[in-house]
Amino acid sequence: MSTVLILAPVIIANWPAIMVAVAGAASALGFTVTKTAQEQKQQVEVEQGVQSVEVEVADSEVLAQSLATDQQIVLTKGSIKICVKRDERGRCSVCATGKGHSKVELKQIAQEFTQKLTQCFVYDRVMRELKNKNFNIVNEEVMEDESIRIHVRRWVD
Amino acid sequence: MAQHDVDITISKSGEVEVHIKGAKGKGCLEYAKWLTKVVGKVKDQQMTSEFYEPDVKARINLQQDLKVEDD
Repeated sequence: MSTVLILAPVIIANWPAIMVAVAGAASALGFTVTKTAQEQKQQVEVEQGVQSVEVEVADSEVLAQSLATDQQIVLTKGSIKICVKRDERGRCSVCATGKGHSKVELKQIAQEFTQKLTQCFVYDRVMRELKNKNFNIVNEEVMEDESIRIHVRRWVD
Repeated sequence: MAQHDVDITISKSGEVEVHIKGAKGKGCLEYAKWLTKVVGKVKDQQMTSEFYEPDVKARINLQQDLKVEDD
């Protein structure tokens, strides 16, 4: 080995690229897209006693392609709803709501989704760039701790 | 031709650990710079002894020079 590098992810992307990672995280954690953001917003306002927790995705910036700032997507799994959105500051945030769930539970769920979203985003980006650099995938596996290990190789003159 | 291997581990939280093997010196730094740009920012970096070894081409030139002096 010649270098060992530890990198912290920074998510700077447009909304479609974020959506790809959201779809990957939703699929991995068993969530499905159910409603448009507007329908969800109206329903949450009507429901009483529903707990809600919002977690910001660290070092994230959703690049605006238009003037719309309230881009969001709503996912559900049983009684839990997750809303991924671009907030007023342009950051990506994950909001978990659910009747009958404590704030602690919802925070855990939101953090788990945030982590999976980040992992999916980094995976997509790394794989795309590896292909651009003509690396061959030697091995790829998901480890017991849910980390993804990729071994790539290329030959240079 | 030189074989360059890269082991990439993306943790559950999205943090990335990269092991660059086979590339030395400047070549290794170029990979590190490229992967940093792809993922985000450097949290930690450690150079191993292989990093400081000269490239294969440079080593061959040195051996040739020594042979001339011996003659």
